[in-house]
Amino acid sequence: MKKSLATRILSASLAAAFACTMLTGCRFGYASDPDDPNEEEKKEPIDTSVDTFEYDSSLEGTSITLLNSKAEIQVALGEMAAAFEEKSGVHVEVMPVTDGDSPYTKVVSMYNSGSAPTLSILDTTDVIALAEEKAEDLSDEKWLAEAEEYLTEVNGKVYSFPLCIEGRGLIYNKAVIDSVLGEEFDPESITTQSEFVEFLDKLAEKGMKRSMSLAKEDWSLGAHHLQYIYETSDGTSEGAQECIEKIKSGKIDLDSYDRLSEFLDMFDVIKKYNVAQGDPLGADYDEMAIDLVDGKTALWFNGNWAWPNLEEAGADEEDEYGFLPYFMNDDKGDFVNQKIQASPSKQVMLDGQLATEDQKAAAKEFLNWIVYSEIGQQMLVKTCKIIPPFQNNPYEPSDPLSRDIYEKVHAGKVFNASAIVPNDHWSVLGAAMQKYLAGRSDREELTESIQDYWGEQE
Amino acid sequence: MESKNKGKDFGMFALPGMFCFFAVVIVPFVYGIYLTLTDWNGVSKVKHFIGLKNFAGVVKDTQFWTSLLLTFKYVILVVVLVNVLAFAIAYLLTRGIKGQNFFRAGFFTPNLIGGIVLGYIWQFVFSRVFVNIGEATGWSLFEISWLSDPNKAFAALVLVSVWQLSGYMILIYVAGFMGLSEDVMEAASIDGASGWIKLKNIIMPLMMSSVTICLFLTLSRAFMVYDVNLSLTAGAPYGTTEMAAMHVYEKAFTSRQFGVGQAEALILFIIVACISGIQGYMTKKQEVVA
Repeated sequence: MKKSLATRILSASLAAAFACTMLTGCRFGYASDPDDPNEEEKKEPIDTSVDTFEYDSSLEGTSITLLNSKAEIQVALGEMAAAFEEKSGVHVEVMPVTDGDSPYTKVVSMYNSGSAPTLSILDTTDVIALAEEKAEDLSDEKWLAEAEEYLTEVNGKVYSFPLCIEGRGLIYNKAVIDSVLGEEFDPESITTQSEFVEFLDKLAEKGMKRSMSLAKEDWSLGAHHLQYIYETSDGTSEGAQECIEKIKSGKIDLDSYDRLSEFLDMFDVIKKYNVAQGDPLGADYDEMAIDLVDGKTALWFNGNWAWPNLEEAGADEEDEYGFLPYFMNDDKGDFVNQKIQASPSKQVMLDGQLATEDQKAAAKEFLNWIVYSEIGQQMLVKTCKIIPPFQNNPYEPSDPLSRDIYEKVHAGKVFNASAIVPNDHWSVLGAAMQKYLAGRSDREELTESIQDYWGEQE
Repeated sequence: MESKNKGKDFGMFALPGMFCFFAVVIVPFVYGIYLTLTDWNGVSKVKHFIGLKNFAGVVKDTQFWTSLLLTFKYVILVVVLVNVLAFAIAYLLTRGIKGQNFFRAGFFTPNLIGGIVLGYIWQFVFSRVFVNIGEATGWSLFEISWLSDPNKAFAALVLVSVWQLSGYMILIYVAGFMGLSEDVMEAASIDGASGWIKLKNIIMPLMMSSVTICLFLTLSRAFMVYDVNLSLTAGAPYGTTEMAAMHVYEKAFTSRQFGVGQAEALILFIIVACISGIQGYMTKKQEVVA
């Protein structure tokens, strides 16, 4: 009797536990289930019939390695490497940086253990940190001419290959806005911050009270938001660098620096219309993509790298998504209200320390192949879904976010400025921004944190 | 003759182990100490000797001391909670209650899940499941995610660590309880000891060897916590839950101040070694043989 009671309790509690998991399963399952097994992966066909690229047959049989820190193109890079091997006979092994490792840490530890990758895809700051010590000088390569505005120089020399252009701004979902407003939405119609606020109020009036998603992640707040204060100084990378130097040396007083107060004005607007206003630090990144696709929100501050997230949440390539600028003031003539930021983000560095001459030549051939061969050009855009920084690449990206940036690049509606900041900028000042976002610090305290941060840098 | 044999035995049995120990523990440790005296950034070929400058950097790094203080708070809470809980549960699970083997396995399971995975699971629970429960029931405790409030995020960290560590300690305590001699217990009962008196005067002293092990394990694990910290809160909200070990890593690799990070690691090591040493000595003294 006693035993059967225990069994009954046990089975009842098990049943309850199962019921709970099933309920929560329902709660988090969405109409647009991203893991539908019946859905076929769409792949764009690559035309390999034309290939005018000249391969160096003496390099056949050479083996090189490529460290990839751009997780979303890991599979695509593998396909690219296979296509290249088939044509050139050079084996390219693509190694991922595993989750949780930073690319820099990974590459440094590989150098220290004497097994450095021949090529590594790194962020610009990492390249600058490693260039003179480890990298091969690429200043004499032919492709430099095709990517002129997108090169990164270290003391007058080029050590890295710009792999892609990435841009950021306020992503909008046109269909959702259209249906809420009940009329066609023209993204070009908003040209100042006041007009933007008016637009948000209109959405609120029509029923979408809080129309924006704001990621709480420190990399988003510390790098993508806050770095506007350097990058909008004059809209160029040099200008951003100058601005940083001035902040460091105290020539710019942050308390009276226009771009900081303008930036915070805009940040306050986003904060005010944030859908997760009740608990801004509890906002979930994956949910933001789902909200934007399902129409719970209309805008999300992010970059074109967010496309895979949107796609997983159910967005199609035919849907209309695009970017609005980060409106910082009411001056129609100010470029920040008309242009979005876009610049090369990932760079490929060639090892100059441990690689053999053959490996170096093979790696250079691989880079040239990406720029000049018809297959490489196609695969960069279609397989990796990257916005190429090379003028000679005729292919257009297919996803709406990349396409929007691509079109804006060609229409002159982007500013190419990327601030080179110390590596812990995003984490230290990201924390300060989180505090501001949560309403636990005011502008004064935030300004002081930024000032202190730069004061500590040498 | 005898001494020759000893040399051979040493070579056969101890040398391989000694070699490994030296190669992966002693040499890196000594090398690490050497690195604290240089300005090496992890990349450059040349290292300059800069004396104790890195330690001056540690003194200036206020965030390190904040995180160290937080770590102390965390360690005290975790060590006390884990041991009290594990001791109590182990006591219950050796009383011969129904299904005790099932419960033992159940309590031990969390320990089998890796810290990173466990952190992500609980992150989901705290930021999604609890929030939804809060929405459904209106309980203000779960209204906002625990992980977005500094104090609650810290509580979450303690809670998850206790949940994870207890299982292992329960196992050790259970073994300890099973080893208690029935004769002694019976003798105590005949002498009129019961309940609290028996626990305090008979069981506790005999259990001291288990306590020594458990305290040592929880102390060192809690001090060096990194995985759960990383995956559950990653220092969020705004760096308020960053423990010492995580700060050391961030300093060395994110801020790229290798020397300072290494110096902080050394300081952390010394603190942990001293505290564990003192703990070992103190509890060892309490051990008795029946």
